[in-house]
Amino acid sequence: MSAAPLKAALIGAGQIARQHLSCLRQLPGVELAAVCDLSPAVAECAAERYGVRSWFTDHAAMLREVRPDVVHVTTPPTSHYRLALDALQQGAHVVVEKPATTTLDEIEGLARRAGDAGRALIEDYNYLFNRATREILRRIETGEFGAVVHVDVLICLSILGPEGFADPNSPHPCLSMAGGAIADFLPHLASLAHLFVGPHRRANSIWTKRAASILPYDEFRAMVDAERGTATLGFSAHAQPDAFWLRVFGERMQATANLFESRVTFNRLRTGPKPLQPLLNGLEESRAIRSAAIGTLWRKFRGGPGAYEGLFELIGRSYRALAEGSAPPVSVHQVLEVNRLVDDLKPRERA
Amino acid sequence: MNVLVTGANGFLGRHVVSALLARGHRVRALVRPAARLDGLGWTASVEIFRADLRSTRELAPAFEGIDALVHLAAVVSGGEDAQFAGTVTGTERLLTAMATSPCRRLVLASSFSVYDWSRIHGTLDESSPTEAAPDLYERDAYSIAKSWQERVTRRFAEKHGWDLTVLRPGYIWGRDHAFVAALGQQIGKTYLVMGPLVRLPFTHVENCADLFAVAVGDPRASGQTFNVVDGDGERVWSYLGSYLRSTGQRALRIPIPWHLAFALIRLAYATIFRRNPKLPHILVPCRFESRLKPLRYTNRRARELLGWRPPLDFEACLARSYGAPRAPLPLPGSLRVTDP
Repeated sequence: MSAAPLKAALIGAGQIARQHLSCLRQLPGVELAAVCDLSPAVAECAAERYGVRSWFTDHAAMLREVRPDVVHVTTPPTSHYRLALDALQQGAHVVVEKPATTTLDEIEGLARRAGDAGRALIEDYNYLFNRATREILRRIETGEFGAVVHVDVLICLSILGPEGFADPNSPHPCLSMAGGAIADFLPHLASLAHLFVGPHRRANSIWTKRAASILPYDEFRAMVDAERGTATLGFSAHAQPDAFWLRVFGERMQATANLFESRVTFNRLRTGPKPLQPLLNGLEESRAIRSAAIGTLWRKFRGGPGAYEGLFELIGRSYRALAEGSAPPVSVHQVLEVNRLVDDLKPRERA
Repeated sequence: MNVLVTGANGFLGRHVVSALLARGHRVRALVRPAARLDGLGWTASVEIFRADLRSTRELAPAFEGIDALVHLAAVVSGGEDAQFAGTVTGTERLLTAMATSPCRRLVLASSFSVYDWSRIHGTLDESSPTEAAPDLYERDAYSIAKSWQERVTRRFAEKHGWDLTVLRPGYIWGRDHAFVAALGQQIGKTYLVMGPLVRLPFTHVENCADLFAVAVGDPRASGQTFNVVDGDGERVWSYLGSYLRSTGQRALRIPIPWHLAFALIRLAYATIFRRNPKLPHILVPCRFESRLKPLRYTNRRARELLGWRPPLDFEACLARSYGAPRAPLPLPGSLRVTDP
């Protein structure tokens, strides 16, 4: 006899929630039990669209009546702490969108609560679970990559348009966080640095603003010294086109991936005549880029999670772990270490 | 009447404000905090209320002294979430504020996009079926948001006993907005015209605005739904021709029979694309139909119930859309506004 399905509930039915719901709907062993949003129409629409059994506008009532096993917190970050805490107190595991909280104190409070209650607290580090990242990890694990010396992560994303973060009519909730809109991306940068070079020892960051806008900053760079190597992290609202560059430098191999696409290429030390090495590396790289480009377009036409493939993988692994009682793919310890780096990266004073 | 108009500085809104003034109403224009109002040509009698329906905490003051709401505001660009939040959540917040006021009259700008085009054959009119779940969620973001906006508004009206009129315009066109999505697929200087003889449900923005102003003041409009089209509709081929001529563009028009194009799209959607809703609109059959399906359209209900006639014929619309800029429509009878 199969085990009872895990009851999933979701608080905050906006943009990223749709990705969570799309994934949960097709996961075996999951019952989409409830969705909650302050807007009745948003909640009801999400329930109707994704076949969720019930919808609420009051999260406390939802937690009380539905008693979910897992709660996804997908509201704007300023409300995560309160909602995640309530879910943990009710006895649910929590999957929380990044940034999990707006301060280090809050995430430490959530981690303590999760530990005391024996519940999982999973922050969405979706890019750790993209195919490209997993392929780099696989090569590190097999030893062919050699030890990682350095990781470089740079997100280029145009966020200065009148819709979204820089909307002059309706202030985006992220603007109240230290670092403004860029703070929304720090967990991605920090979680990738943590994955490849471990917990940080110190970090120096530069926050600047190139153009007039309502954003406090539009450029960010940081250098990180970590236990197993170093990292450079960056966010640019001006460098175009949009891309999410991940470069990992090992003792025997280097990897370059654009996590907004499915592109990943490797350069490696080769035996044989040295003058031929650039040619062989170039041929291998061009083949990988070509097949990734075609694959990206093909996936666009065939549907599926697209750029959110990592989120689908993370949620899938999380539910399998929770059902089996094994360790979740993101540990509370990892969440704390990543958030300590996030905290050290934040600007100490507003621009 | 004192009329609150949301989306007042939008393409339709600015003409609705003019049409309301022309019929002797007083207008409070709700516009976003950062909206620029220069060039609208409004008289000083238009009262400005700055607010964003998505976030402004206090919307109730907008209804002080108001007799009727004309709700035009909708987010028509950006992702699905942005459109839903702006159009539907904004409507919820606006109507929650209205419920605290004595205002009981409401005219909503809905859209032809709420219809279930797949199930309609022959003539599309106000009794045609509207799109419902689950098929609604294969449609584009605009259709989903407008369907939910109408659904939410009808529920509010029923709950509070308001006099609701829903106007569903077809393609609204006019100066600087003469290109509509149904003209085919543009590839550089070539237009693939799917169904060149298909008639499109056009309404010129000034004709459309006139019906809004008529509906506000006519008690016979209460509780009614009206499709807004100027007449039988122009054919795609000839409309595109006049568009290209008037805008000075040289382009190649390639006609493709509608039924052939639709059959190919349906086949590809069911096989190669495996019903992927993230495809470009033209490759998703229900969205293709909602833009281009050969149907007939009528404004008979507005004519019969309200005695409405579009003030401008097609030639006049062309002149007003492509010719030298002109003053708003001539005002009916003695109702004239004088500039201060």
